[in-house]
Amino acid sequence: MNRSVHWRSRTTAAAVAVVSLGVLAACSSGSSSGTGAAATGAASSASSGATSTGSASTVSTSSCGTKPGVAATGTPINLGAINTKQPGTDFSDIENMTGAYFACVNANGGINGHPVKFFPETEQTNPSQIASLAKQLVTSDHVVGIAGSSSIIECSVDSAYWKSVGIDVLGAGIDPECWSTPNTASVNMGPRYSSDGAVQYVIANGATKIAFDQSNVPGTTYIAGGPNALAKAKGVPIQDFTENVPITSANAIATKLVTAAGPSGAVVLNFTPPEALLILQAAQKLNLEDRVKSWACSTPCNTDFLATSLGPKWNDKLFVNAELTPLDGNTSSTAELYDAILKQYGSDVSGGVGSFSEMGFVIGEIATHALETIKGAYTIASVSAAFKAVTSYNTGLLCQAFTYGNYSEHIPNNMDYTVTPDNGKFVEASTGGGCTLISANDPQIAAYRAIAGTAPAVG
Amino acid sequence: MPSWAEFQPYIVTGLALGGLYALSGVGLVVLYRATGVLNLAFGAVGAMGAFIAYSIIQAGNPGWLGWITCILFGGVVTLGYGLVFGPALAGRGPLVQSVSTLGLALVLFGAIDLAWPTTGGQSPSISFPTDNGGFSVGQLQVNWTQVIALALGIVITAGTGAFLRYTKLGTAMRAMANDREITATLGVPVRRVEAAAWLGCGLLSGIAGIMLADLSALDDTTLVFTVVISSLAAALIGRLRSIPVTFVAALVIGLVHDLITPINSIANYQDMTPFVLAAVALLVMSRGQVMTRSREEG
Repeated sequence: MNRSVHWRSRTTAAAVAVVSLGVLAACSSGSSSGTGAAATGAASSASSGATSTGSASTVSTSSCGTKPGVAATGTPINLGAINTKQPGTDFSDIENMTGAYFACVNANGGINGHPVKFFPETEQTNPSQIASLAKQLVTSDHVVGIAGSSSIIECSVDSAYWKSVGIDVLGAGIDPECWSTPNTASVNMGPRYSSDGAVQYVIANGATKIAFDQSNVPGTTYIAGGPNALAKAKGVPIQDFTENVPITSANAIATKLVTAAGPSGAVVLNFTPPEALLILQAAQKLNLEDRVKSWACSTPCNTDFLATSLGPKWNDKLFVNAELTPLDGNTSSTAELYDAILKQYGSDVSGGVGSFSEMGFVIGEIATHALETIKGAYTIASVSAAFKAVTSYNTGLLCQAFTYGNYSEHIPNNMDYTVTPDNGKFVEASTGGGCTLISANDPQIAAYRAIAGTAPAVG
Repeated sequence: MPSWAEFQPYIVTGLALGGLYALSGVGLVVLYRATGVLNLAFGAVGAMGAFIAYSIIQAGNPGWLGWITCILFGGVVTLGYGLVFGPALAGRGPLVQSVSTLGLALVLFGAIDLAWPTTGGQSPSISFPTDNGGFSVGQLQVNWTQVIALALGIVITAGTGAFLRYTKLGTAMRAMANDREITATLGVPVRRVEAAAWLGCGLLSGIAGIMLADLSALDDTTLVFTVVISSLAAALIGRLRSIPVTFVAALVIGLVHDLITPINSIANYQDMTPFVLAAVALLVMSRGQVMTRSREEG
């Protein structure tokens, strides 16, 4: 009897445990997919909370408008944006910095006397929510343009809708549709072309084999297509890997990648900063950093936080693709204006100085430049036409002059920098780190250049 | 299929993880035996302790202060939970008691997300000085943190076994595992024994949390769920009773999980390892149970 009771009790406990395991596994994988999705999204960019431009804000924010110190009082120009903001994935610094730029413009004369009324929305990767937000912006908020969007799935969800209402979007793209549709242009390069940049850099520096690793999320095949095409064209073997995120066994992954690349090869990572850092730190703990010729990352690794966490062992060992101008020590007037706006109007930019806020700044710059060219009423048609008319505009933070253009697809940012850690900061790599065109061996880049040409370098 | 040489590095990483799963599994088994509660908050408590340790270290305090705080946090929170909710839920079934700890896990999980939000692309991490030292075995690189992780698993398993067998408190815990009411009738201070079990389990959750934050990641999802899934699977294979079997199962789970890494075709499924091994082990054991019963009845 007693034995029977014990058996029943243990059986019940075991049943509870099995069910709990399932529930926990489901919770775990649910969270993973959230973060995994982050791995795709943030692969386009990353922010840094520690970077410093090195400027002392000698440039006043008054230079962002045509009438310094005069607040705009005309009828507002309504613009909107949609950013992903959820636990583990927060791109809202982009629209917040765009908003900060518009606030600066409004305080200094506005756009032809009109202030920009900005409607920044956030979403949680829910397609129906994203579709509703798009409709709300147009029908309730009466926006006449979209500037500053950056979302994991917004391009794919809303692209058809924007097209149907005649809106041409200016944003920072993440999913493939952000570069392959006629009515969206991104100021960033995104995960595929940024990975291209990292791969072509290590090949140019003599890597004989590449181990390319990224988060196991939808779109990895599309992203890997670029690096594989580049490596194949150069006759360099490349092996693709994907990892479930969050990463739970970084030591094993680091070991696997180093083994795959070999002593004369390179490991190229396309992860969010936290996941990339895990792999790099694991390699450091296992003394694996020198077991390959070099390590490289797509843009997300370009945060001073990562450089600080890794330490000097990675100086000139890790090379990171940078889609926008490195800010450390940058004393250009644009970098100083960026710094000044961030300080005066960027209280909502939680990540501070970094790639996300750089992108938001550039979007604000381009949008303001475009809107200033409009002579008549500010309507969806006139704003879209002005965006599309932006040609060879020097943003001061991109390698190339920016052109939107009337093309079937848009990859206006296809020239990059490469940076490497230097005592807790990222600096331009001394060998070949300056502006370099992403290779046209990536068929997507070749297709874009065939229709849009190659924008001149200005960085 | 990778060669044997390609598998070798993963033996080291797998054993290190297995050692931590083992000490976690042992903590779960001891608590279950003494109180009848499956502590599903084990990982969450350790995770929060690790994040607190991270903040302490980031504030410029010495590392050891953070590590000790993490371990003490695990002990205090788990003991507090046991003292407050243990007696109230003692009369309820294992389902209620276990789901109640899941509630604690989710509360802590939310609190971690609130207190340490992952904005700005930054990521917290914890490193031990032992990460930078180690030795080579042939082509294998082993660092001291990995050695400590495995050693902790072994020492805590052996120590717990000896504690349960040779100490008065341990004997009381074993007695309670057999029959709580008879043990109480015999004059054993049940509440005190249970409190000791909660405290021990909590301290182990703190140790596991801080070690895994270094060896795996200082990530709430990883620490809250992965640790519990793997160590609970090991405890299940030990039938929530056998500490040696739990230890071996934990090592096997850690090893199999990491040895799958170089096999590209199944590498992305390696997180299923604890669940699959636990399910297979339970099926085999229940089949053995049925066959034994059949023989007895026949």
